[in-house]
Parts: sequence; structure tokens; C-alpha cells
Amino acid sequence: MSQKTVDLGRRYRVREKIIQYFSFSAIILLLVGLSITQKNFLGSSNLTNLLRDTAPLMIMSVGMTSVLLFGSIDLSMGAVCSVSNVLFVKFLKEYGGSMPNVGVATLAAFAISLCFGLIAGFLLGVIHVKLKVPSFIASLAFMSVWQSTALLIAEAPISVPKPMWGAVSWFKVSFGVVGLPLVLALVLVVLVHVFQTRTAVGRSMYAIGGNERAARIAGTPVDRTKIAVFTVNGLCASLGGIFLAAKLRSCAPTIGDPFTLLIVASCVLGGASLTGGKGSALGTVLGVFTVAIINNGMNFIGVDAYWQNVVFGVFVLAAIAVSMDRSTRGLVIK
Amino acid sequence: MEDRKPLFSAKNIAKSFAGTQALKGVGLTVYPGEIVGLVGENGAGKSTLLKIIIGAQPASSGAMEMHGKPFEPKTPMEANREGIGMVFQEQSLIVNLNVAQNIFFGHEKQFKKNGLVNWGQMNKAALEVLREVDVTDISPRKKVSDLNFATRQMIEIAKVINVTKQAGSDHCLILLDEPTSVLSEAEVQNLFKQMKKIASRGHSVVFVSHRLDEVLEITDRIYVYKDGMSVGDLATRDASEKLLYEMMVGRTTTTEYYHLEKQRVPGKKVVLEAKDLGLHGVFKHVSFQLHEGEILGLCGVVGSGKEEICQILCGDLKPTSGEVQVRGKKAKFSSPVEALKASVLMIPKERLYEGVVMTLSVEDNIALSSADKLKSGPFVSKARIAEQAERWIKTLRIKTNGRKELLMQLSGGNQQKVVFSRALASEADILILNHPTRGVDVGAKEEIYSLIRDIVAEGKSVILLGDTLDESIGLANRILVLQDGVVTGEFSAEVGGKPEQVDVVSLMM
Repeated sequence: MSQKTVDLGRRYRVREKIIQYFSFSAIILLLVGLSITQKNFLGSSNLTNLLRDTAPLMIMSVGMTSVLLFGSIDLSMGAVCSVSNVLFVKFLKEYGGSMPNVGVATLAAFAISLCFGLIAGFLLGVIHVKLKVPSFIASLAFMSVWQSTALLIAEAPISVPKPMWGAVSWFKVSFGVVGLPLVLALVLVVLVHVFQTRTAVGRSMYAIGGNERAARIAGTPVDRTKIAVFTVNGLCASLGGIFLAAKLRSCAPTIGDPFTLLIVASCVLGGASLTGGKGSALGTVLGVFTVAIINNGMNFIGVDAYWQNVVFGVFVLAAIAVSMDRSTRGLVIK
Repeated sequence: MEDRKPLFSAKNIAKSFAGTQALKGVGLTVYPGEIVGLVGENGAGKSTLLKIIIGAQPASSGAMEMHGKPFEPKTPMEANREGIGMVFQEQSLIVNLNVAQNIFFGHEKQFKKNGLVNWGQMNKAALEVLREVDVTDISPRKKVSDLNFATRQMIEIAKVINVTKQAGSDHCLILLDEPTSVLSEAEVQNLFKQMKKIASRGHSVVFVSHRLDEVLEITDRIYVYKDGMSVGDLATRDASEKLLYEMMVGRTTTTEYYHLEKQRVPGKKVVLEAKDLGLHGVFKHVSFQLHEGEILGLCGVVGSGKEEICQILCGDLKPTSGEVQVRGKKAKFSSPVEALKASVLMIPKERLYEGVVMTLSVEDNIALSSADKLKSGPFVSKARIAEQAERWIKTLRIKTNGRKELLMQLSGGNQQKVVFSRALASEADILILNHPTRGVDVGAKEEIYSLIRDIVAEGKSVILLGDTLDESIGLANRILVLQDGVVTGEFSAEVGGKPEQVDVVSLMM
């Protein structure tokens, strides 16, 4: 027995190491490969783009990391992001003019979008926790609901009207190659990181992911923690939607759809386990950069747009197959 | 009888799970046409032996013979082919299939025609099989989920008899693991009739039951197991309930082992009270008081309701009637979080599934129930977590390579000490210890006993579900006995006045 446990522990640690360094080494390899073959890849304009455009994905992935930590998943993030995105722009277009000034209009638009994210996340959390619907199914159903909702609000893309450009101009502010959006996203990452590692609730997320039953018996507020995290996650999704609106100065009702896979891929590449109990906000940042560099690299090389998704899908499968934790048996998604 | 050749024999069978020995070299011999009883306390190793015979688990060592030939089944299918069938304690029917499909599960080939199963033929055959055990009022087309437990049990038995009959052997061996626990009196009598019929045809039956009167009624010979060893076998005509009780429990309560010198007289203050507590279909009218500094032992066999009482007290389950009072105040816990706030915490029975988080470190596991107490400002202080872990590792002598080591790398006994550390660090003063020494070796057991004595010396109160009856009596100040969800007795267990195990057991079964 003792021999067996020692082996188990060592195998566990070796796997941890592989996961830990996987995305890090992938980033280095990709950067080196791309900068050798592509002359302008590390040029300041591409780098600025790359760093700025990762912000929405980073915000959403960091939210998802917390959900994956306790072994659940939220597949409705992309759709929540879409609804928030169209709400934000539609509000500026329809009611922005009647506000006293652009500042107030911006605040109101932010508030509406974020409120929606908050409610969407809370609803999912309550249905998952109290009605005991698996998060996989519950969020899949919500994905369908929110996808349609986005189309009902705006069936075609809407641009932010010119007088309201003040509401989105912050997105283009930058300090050298680092843009304000990335700075904001990184601030959020740090906040989540501190929350996960330093607060009682954050730490209990690891316990719930590792063994929910034990965490419950030990007197950890399992249900409350889960609902809170889903709520924050909804907030992150809606923030992602606002960032996308600011980036494009317009909205599109299907803008969030491709993000669902990107988010899950970023988290898993960053070391989060789909069975729960493992993952960190900082790891997810690495995962996000890996995903962003792959996408940006494919654009740079000129991979055909239709082929990009094939390449990306295959890459994600391969990456997850390598880094996936198989030490815990049982359901992959609780 | 000894001049006949045995149908089945097992010699020196040993089995260990994760460091603990469930069986320490037991033997069992069954002659053709014989009904053999197997009795013993929970954890004596009866079910384990049956699982080894049927091939559900491999033995760690020992040898078995069937029909005079060496026999080492790797799967239940293999055992079936040799003519051995078993009715499991937990039912093994597939509830979303119908009766006939269950009876012939895994043996559908005989009804196959052109790649399709001839259901009509199968149903007809099933009717035959059912008639064999005198079940005539059940359609083979009925879904098992629509049947009650007693009927399911009979179908299970019919299935096993059929499977062994298919083996084509003259003499079969049928293992019944507590088949009567869900049956009514009339159904038990029908079962006994079937068992006798089976035996009269030269087949043999091994019958495991907690109900000694049944064992005495139906068997020819009885084996008594205790702590993974056989303490003897005797012809049923020489046995009596009293004799069996004595053999089952032994007489080995030792004073030092349970640190009786440290046992105190509890205080007068009532810290927890159950008033007419009930859980529908499990237990009812359970009332008791727990005093300050007292160890109250709850005794009963599996299914007596003691586990559920613990779950209710720690907030994991809600009672359907009655109430719990903690320090005179009515307590309605909706989750263990609230129980912990009222200073009630359980150390659960299944350490692996309910007690520890394997993927966390030792220090994080210890801090699991006390995170709120280790805050400085809004944040949990890492220094205080570390300090707390160091303190408990030292106090309880937990063998680990440091507080950062993952829990999965500790041995069972040390993991259990971590669970205790967590409970003590929570500063809860009503502790429910559900099998606190389960899967722990003898040395660690004694340390845990000493620790429990120290806990109550601090004025904390303990409700104890001992891993063995001996343990409950040895540690407790008072014993409450449950049978089938009803309190059947109470014993004072003060030093010098400990009740005899025989007396407690007779109220349990």
C-alpha cells in the first residue's frame, strides 16, 4: 500500500510538471518559430494587436477558471458575451442621445450589460446547485437561450454612433505596446488570483473540486460558493462582451459563439483540470497567450480562414490529450 | 458426514485492503446437500469471503477447491461455469430491464436466432425458472423497477439457481449474503422452503445472516467468524443463540487499550438532545441526551439507522419528524456549514469519499474546517495555516514529509490523523465520530483512543459509532442500542461497570 501511494504521488507530480510547463514551452516554441519564419511577427504593430486583442478572451477565461476549479463548466459564456455585447451597443444607439452626456451614457450602458451578466450567471448557478442539473447541460441550454436573445435584441450588427465614440475610445489607449484593455484584464487576473489563493471562499473552491463531499461534511459552504462563482463568471462574460464592442465599435449578435471553445482551451492549456481541483488564474493567462499566438500566427502566415478552425480544433485536441489529468477517475464534467 | 467428499473447500484465505487485513486465513468447507450458516459481526469478513469465492475479488493468499479440483475464479462468470452462484447483499438486478432479461442476462445466446433474440422463447423459459422457486404471480415481461424488494430478491435467487443449473453440474453452490434483510416473514419462509428444496437435490447453500434465529432454523452447520478469522464451526443442533453470541464477540476488552484510566465521569450539562427524532422509513422515536464531556456510543448493525442519525446531527440530512436541540436551542441545520457554526462536526466514515481531499496538501486539509478562524483581515493567513498544521503534525505525530505534502502520499492511519486534526482545529465541541478507527492499524488505533480521551477531557462531547462493538463499549460512558430504527436499550458503560458484549449484541439483532 505504502509503495503504491508513493508511486501515485510521484506520477501525480510528474503530470503536474508537464501541465505546468506545457503552455509555457508552447508559447516559446511558437514565438521562436514564427519570428524566424515571419519577418514582421515581432514588429511593434503586430505585437500591439496581439497584446490588445487577448483582453476579452483573458477576462472570460479567468472567470471560467474558477468554475472549472470546482469541477463544473459554463458553456453559455460565449452567448452571455453576445447578449452583453449587443445590449451595450444597442443602448448607446437608442438611448445614448437622450443622456446628459457621453460619460453618463457609458456608465449606464456598462451597468445594463454587467447587470445582465450578473443575472445570467446567478440563474445558471442556482439552477445547477439547487435543482442539481449538471452544469454541462444547464449551461448548454442557457447557451441556446442567450444565443436567441442576442438575435432578438439585434438581428444584425449595429455600429456605435459617432457621437457615442467616447464610450469606447478607452480601448485604443495604450502604453507602448501594452494597451489599456490588457492592463485592465491583468488587473482582473490579479484580483481573481488573490481571491482564489488568499480568501477562505477561494481556497474552498480547490477543496470542492478535489472532493465535494468531503468539503461539504467539513463544513465548507459548497452551494453558496458555487453560486457566487457562477455569478462572477457571468459578470466576466458580460465584461468580455463590452470589451469586444469597444474593440470593434460595433456589436454582432453571434460575436461570442466562437469564444466558448477558445475559453475552455485557454483554461485547460493553462493547467485547469476538467475534473476540478486544479488550475489557477496565472496559469490561464499563459493558456490565453498560447491560444492568441496560434490564432494570430495563423493569420500572419495566411492560413485560409476556413482551415483556421480545423487547425485550431486539432491543436486543442492534441494539447488537451497531452496535458489532460487522468489520475482522477469518474465523470469528466460534474 | 466427514466420510463424504466436500463439494467446496477453502483453506487459509487471506485478503488485505489498503493495509488492513479483512481476512486473516479463514477456511470453509461445504459438503453436497448441506446448508451452511456464516455468522459474525460487521467487518468480520463474511462478505469478503463470499466475494472471493464468487470471483468478484481475488484473494491475497490461500487456496480453494471445487468438485475436488483447484478453483481460482477471476470473474463471477467463471465461478458460474463451475456451478457457483451468489445473491449479493446489494441487489444486482438491472432495474430498467424486465424480469426475463435479468434472469438470462449474459446468457441470451441460447435464444438467439439469425442474430435476433427470440423474446417469446425467453419469456417462456423465464416462466419455467420462476415456477421452480414457486413464484407464479410475476410476468417475465414486468420491468424490475416496478417490483418491490422482496420480489426482486426472489428473482435474484431464481436467476442464480438458473445460472448454476446451466453449468450442468450435479452439485451447485449457492451463496446468499443476507438475503432476508428485506423480506417479510412469509417471504422468508418461502425462501427457506426453496433453500431446503435446493439442498434436497444435492446442491449446497452458504447462508449469511445477522438474524441468528434464522441461521439456527435453516442451517445444518454454522461457521463463526470474528475479525477476519474463523473462531470455529459447529453443528447447528449443538448451537444456541447465546453460544453463538459468545463466540462472535469473544471476551477481550482490555483496560489499557482503551485508556480506561483516563475515562471520566461526564458533566451534568446537556449539550445536545434528540427529541423523538425520526427519518421516514429508516428510524423513528429516537430520543437521547448528550452531556458535556461524555462519550455516547451508538450501537447497531448496518441498517439500524445509526448512520442516518449521525448524518442528521451533522446537518447533512434533514429529519422527517422530531427535533434536535443544541445547548437548549432548537437546531434546524440545512447543511453542515450551519452545524459547524453551532459547533457540531462529524468525522465521516468513508475517509476517502467524505473525509479528505487527496489533491490538497496536509496543511490545506487541516485548515478545511477552520478557514474562517485563520483570517487576518479579509485574507486567510498563510502563516497561520502553516503554524496550525505544524502544531497538529507535532501533537498527533502525523508521519509526513512536511505540511506541503499531498494527502494522497500519507498512509491510511496518518490520513485519519489529519482528519482528526481538522476536526480539532475547527474548535467544534460536539464531535460525531463515525468509525474513527476504520482502516487504521493497531498502533494508530491506540493513539486515536488516547486522543479521544483527551478531547473529552477538554470538555468536548462525543457521539461515537465504533468500528467494532468492543471499541464502542471500551470508549463510551454510555451505550445506546438500535435495532431496525428503534432504540432497544441503553447501558451505562462507566469504568468497572462496562456491559458485556453479549448483552449489547442481543439487543442489536
